[in-house]
Amino acid sequence: MSGGVVYRRWLRDRARSTLVWTVGVVLIVVASAAFYPSLSGASGGGLGSGGSAMSSLLGLSKGIDPGSPLGFLWISLYANIYPWMLMALGVALGVAAIAGDEETGALEYLLAKPVTRTTVAFARFAGAVTILLVVSVFSGLALVLSLPLFDLNQATTSTAADGSKVISPGATAIDIFNGTFSSFAVALGLAGVAFLIGAITGRKGVALGGASAFGIGGYVLYTLSNMTGSLKPLTWISPWRWYVDDAMAVYGLTWNVVLPFAGAVVGFLIGWWAFLRRDLQNP
Amino acid sequence: MDSVIETEGLTKRWGTLTAVDDINLRIPAGECYAFLGLNGAGKSTTARMLLDFIRPTRGTIRVLGGQGSDPSVRARVGYLPGDLNLPRSMTGKDAIAFFGGLGGDRLHVDSAGLIERFGLDPSRPFRELSTGNRRKVGLVLAFMTNPDLLILDEPTSGLDPLLQEEFRDLLAERKAAGATIWLTSHVMAEVERVADRVGLVRDGKLARELTMAELRHQAIGQIRLTFPAHVDAGQFQRVPHVTGAQGTNGEVLVSVDGPVTDVLARGAELGATGIETEKRDLDDIFLEMYQSSGDAK
Repeated sequence: MSGGVVYRRWLRDRARSTLVWTVGVVLIVVASAAFYPSLSGASGGGLGSGGSAMSSLLGLSKGIDPGSPLGFLWISLYANIYPWMLMALGVALGVAAIAGDEETGALEYLLAKPVTRTTVAFARFAGAVTILLVVSVFSGLALVLSLPLFDLNQATTSTAADGSKVISPGATAIDIFNGTFSSFAVALGLAGVAFLIGAITGRKGVALGGASAFGIGGYVLYTLSNMTGSLKPLTWISPWRWYVDDAMAVYGLTWNVVLPFAGAVVGFLIGWWAFLRRDLQNP
Repeated sequence: MDSVIETEGLTKRWGTLTAVDDINLRIPAGECYAFLGLNGAGKSTTARMLLDFIRPTRGTIRVLGGQGSDPSVRARVGYLPGDLNLPRSMTGKDAIAFFGGLGGDRLHVDSAGLIERFGLDPSRPFRELSTGNRRKVGLVLAFMTNPDLLILDEPTSGLDPLLQEEFRDLLAERKAAGATIWLTSHVMAEVERVADRVGLVRDGKLARELTMAELRHQAIGQIRLTFPAHVDAGQFQRVPHVTGAQGTNGEVLVSVDGPVTDVLARGAELGATGIETEKRDLDDIFLEMYQSSGDAK
């Protein structure tokens, strides 16, 4: 009962920012798709010939052709800007769930009322998941609707290095779902990290810094490992390793998509456990 | 009588800092207990432990027969923090609906009368409210469910004198209706009006507890007598009800605990040409007691 009240209130307090995020991400997604007609048919070799570091930065693994509809969506959205946007939102929401309100004293006041810490933790994490899902769904739908507008649903034909013709299929709603879902997953994983740090420390700055460092550090680690090769054993901690390597927007979902969900659940459970056992910070 | 608040050896330490040190409290139902002390004495830390925001390093707490973490206990508590903070976009109306809704059917929310009484505009978001108006929101939220226990941290801080008076009236009404009140304050006028008992906390320790009758007894009068020439203050030492006398340059300051008739008669005998009376206010007494409790350590 009170969990539903806390959940709805938390969403309502973020209704305006959710709208702004949704509109912003939708605009960026549609604007990125709009560039396709001017770039379609561009040589994949040019974009992909910058060595392993450049390929890693662009997410051009496994011979993805950036001139194809799916390859274009991958390098212009799903390998870079789209998951970054969702991850930024996920971190902000994960931090806000506990630590954000705790620093202002609003959480303490809420906990003076007939509601438990468990209820607050579950309701707010559910709220974070909901907002992340709303932004993902609307931006994914916007991209699906944009496909025919910018010929992204049309198959393309290109010439390979050996002179043979290569036909690349057009992007479909399922491809968009795969890309959006895997981005949502990685963002949720990072939201779990932000929630975990915030719930353990009650400090907004620490949670924001820690979760951001985890996301950015994972990206840097993955990119450096592709350049040097020596850091490869450490990249298991980076969400980018499976995200970029698997390129689910292009090749379809793999079981690796479960990893960030599992990470989010573990982060939430440990954070909840710690939150129950510690003192609230003095506002 | 059952205790509404009961603490046993309550202690809170952060590293080497002892914020609350071995406090034992028994506050019976219907009592208004004022927890007095300077900034940093441990008042708010104690309040925060009562509601389970922070956990004691040692000792036990019982609130309304249960734990402060229990929602059924919290449903019977009205809390006003020293500095209320709500989500910035939340209006007073939203806050009443939200916090009132958390108790489900257990809570009967009665806010309209309080809104009118405090002159609160419930349509304005929290970010637009002045300190005083934020305080009004806090008071409405604390009182709107007619709680059995009110925990009020510096309740009149930021309120203008008229609203302070309104608040004291409200507190007296709720006390008359049987509510138990635990408040922290620096304002002795507030304490004098509503409290039954005070606890003086210093450096985290409960230095002294006394009833308001005992506190008022401390507010004994003083009489300043003027003479045309020097008079030895010792002339007043044996006069009934005199607790002390000091004299300088034709003036004698006599402290009296009880009727002043004998002092006036003695003054007249000695040829007093002027008389002034003064009564120490509770602020002076508080500071004196605070000082003496520190010296006694």
